Amino acid sequence: MTWARVLEWLGYGVLVYFIAMQAYILGLNLISTWALRRDHHLNRFGRVTEMLSSRTTPPVSIVIPAYNEVVGIVDSVRSMSLLKYPRIEIVIANDGSTDGTLEALIDAFKLEKVSIPYRAEVATAPVRAIYRGRGAVDITVIDKENGGRADALNAGLNAARYPYVLCTDADVIFEGDALMRAMTRVVEDRERTVAVGGNIRPINGSPVDLGHLVKAEVPKKLIPRMQMLEYLRTFLAARPAWSAMNALPLVSGAFGIWKRSAAIEVGGFTPGHMGEDMDMTMRLHRHHLKNRIPYRIVYEPTAVVWTEVPETVRVLRRQRIRWHRGLIQAVREFLPMTFNPRYKVVGMLTWAANVLFEFIAPIIEFAGWFIIPLAWFLGVLNVEAFVWLLLLAFGMGLLNTLNALLLDESYGYFDTKTDTARLLVMALIENFGFRQLTVWWRIRAMLGGAAVKSWGNMERRGFVRSVSPPQAPPASSASRP
Amino acid sequence: MSLIEPIQFATLVVLVLNALGVAALIILKAINRSRRRRAEARKRSHMRLISRHVAFEHSTDPVPAKAATDPAFIDALIDVRNALAGSDLEKLERLVARHGVVDELVSDLRRSFPKVKRLRAAMALAELADDEAVPVLLEHLDDREPEIRVQAARGLGRMKWTPAIDAIVARFGMETPWVRARFADTLIGFGSAATWPLVAYVTVNHRHETAGPVAAIRTLAAIGDDEAVKPLIEVLHAGADPEVAIAVIEALGHLENPMAAPVLRSATRDADWRIRAKAVTALGLLADTESLEDLAAALHDPEWWVRRNAAAALGVIPGGLDRLYEALTGRDHPASEAAIEALVDIGELAAARARIEEGNGRTRDHDLISVAEAGR
Repeated sequence: MTWARVLEWLGYGVLVYFIAMQAYILGLNLISTWALRRDHHLNRFGRVTEMLSSRTTPPVSIVIPAYNEVVGIVDSVRSMSLLKYPRIEIVIANDGSTDGTLEALIDAFKLEKVSIPYRAEVATAPVRAIYRGRGAVDITVIDKENGGRADALNAGLNAARYPYVLCTDADVIFEGDALMRAMTRVVEDRERTVAVGGNIRPINGSPVDLGHLVKAEVPKKLIPRMQMLEYLRTFLAARPAWSAMNALPLVSGAFGIWKRSAAIEVGGFTPGHMGEDMDMTMRLHRHHLKNRIPYRIVYEPTAVVWTEVPETVRVLRRQRIRWHRGLIQAVREFLPMTFNPRYKVVGMLTWAANVLFEFIAPIIEFAGWFIIPLAWFLGVLNVEAFVWLLLLAFGMGLLNTLNALLLDESYGYFDTKTDTARLLVMALIENFGFRQLTVWWRIRAMLGGAAVKSWGNMERRGFVRSVSPPQAPPASSASRP
Repeated sequence: MSLIEPIQFATLVVLVLNALGVAALIILKAINRSRRRRAEARKRSHMRLISRHVAFEHSTDPVPAKAATDPAFIDALIDVRNALAGSDLEKLERLVARHGVVDELVSDLRRSFPKVKRLRAAMALAELADDEAVPVLLEHLDDREPEIRVQAARGLGRMKWTPAIDAIVARFGMETPWVRARFADTLIGFGSAATWPLVAYVTVNHRHETAGPVAAIRTLAAIGDDEAVKPLIEVLHAGADPEVAIAVIEALGHLENPMAAPVLRSATRDADWRIRAKAVTALGLLADTESLEDLAAALHDPEWWVRRNAAAALGVIPGGLDRLYEALTGRDHPASEAAIEALVDIGELAAARARIEEGNGRTRDHDLISVAEAGR
């Protein structure tokens, strides 16, 4: 067989792969649209108000892992303590911060060092001390030696006193009723619900006042704006579909509610894992499906948390490499679930698709960068078919984005003509440059190098304050090493 | 057929869909923007109109002919209603009757679709709580839509229509957890009128099912009627399912009736640690001084939750503080840990510091501070 023939067959293979991937994305879009339409009316009819005044609403422990978060931690804890929810406690796991995070917390909340029992149901790095404050909301700080984000989350799980644990980040802003909205899904079926994921949206450029988002705006800078489209696609055009099939492969770390007993039963978060949220979600699926225990892992699109996303290529690169390494770790760990009928929709569809279209896709796309010029050089490239196919891929990608934007419209966040124009222009241009960069970063993640610590390297720029000037030092000092 | 033709066709279809998508997005955003603004303006104007009619019942300001079918008018009506009481409320009810609002909502609820319209009607009927809607709300306690069943019960609850209690309680066992929780909220609103129907439901069903009786017991606890104490103790004596027993013990604690103390004291020696843990907490809520010995013994329980709850209970019972200080300096390390946590939680650590600073420090204050600051 000649090289030309090999390349020709390779082309057919890629075409089949492309069709399968597009069919999958289209399917997700259709199911997500149906699921969001189905649930949308419920959220307009007082469910949250009923939960707020109900005596049957279960209490929640909020676990915040913190590593060198001195700039935002106090505001963040204050903002979380104001969440509309009948009963919460806040547990902060200080993971060996060296920038004065602990001292800032002690000062702000008048914490006292106490020698109370700490039940290590999940093993963690040694705990140095426990601090507790008693204000309107119970605050506990677990000061421990550095062990990474997953280890800090485990310390929080150990110290949490309530049956449901909201694991989040120290640098996010919750909408006031976000926790309540997410917990409606728990109350719907308390026995079976083991995890609930919330909707994460980029906040860059939107004005923030006293820990609250004043008005959602489309980021003015290109890099966060591109990420906004990614987030919208993921959280509105994919997750609702997975959730509807009880096959959500990921409950995001920035807003994940876990049933404490279930999380501990599967051994807590895996220390050192780059994608500890995906790992935990998949282990919960595996545990329940393997042991035939009825369960559900759901996503609630109206439970919204706002987070700052990278604004520079350097920071974005590190984040993406870390995310992809997390995926690689998960693919290795859960490979036996792939196309395994024992794991039902999770094994046969979502995880299989994750392996095929998240893990393998960058390899194919990267290979294409070399094979297509080679095929053209050898004269076996059907240039006309290639151009049409490229146009089709572009069109399908745009269709996916447009559907996400249309779905987002029912939430009424971006109201102005400028926002609409910015989003549409970005939807058109994101395939040129940004997409290729992310493919390259994923390849870098596979090849190794560019060491990334499990806490990541996100540099905080700080939120845009709408009224008063910033009280804290410039946020760039909040970078995680 | 060559490969290019289907690709060309698919591409053209996708590009046309994209063009339609862009147009739809632009149009939808413009429509939504103007709809939101108009809806707000309409609601404000309706609120002004309704307020005028309430203030001057013979106001000549015309109410639009189709007001009863306008969601903005209904929203305004609900908002105004929730701010009124007494004779003003009666005036509003007359306005509602004059314009056939309830009839219109009832007819919307009786439709088979669209779901959103039915839901909106059910919620509006629940909010308006007009007696005329009672038959339709009772009928819709069996609706196929869970949220409509919730709203029907809520409406009947807002009207305090006690004949509905039996119908709501009867559905406890067959409902989804969400609807059951909302039904419980409604029954709590009925207060002691719901006690006996709930007690009867628990007594009859606790041997055959768990979820319904557990929810009913929790509802009884929230209602807080002492009449429920004796029947609940009987359920416990009847050898209830562990989940039901846990709910009963929890409820007996919340009811805070001393009659329950003996049965709770014996539950602190149950084989199931979950029952022991709930029993010690319940004794704390009862603030029963006769239980001090049992609670002090529970500080040495092999199960951590039992020790922790027992210490917390001792922290709130008169005389319990002495037992906590005894455990603090005792030889049983787990008991000492539980004691220190409870002492910190009730603010005893801060109080001990203050006493020492004032020069009134006792030996046990120094003991507490040294144990608390021992670190890990």
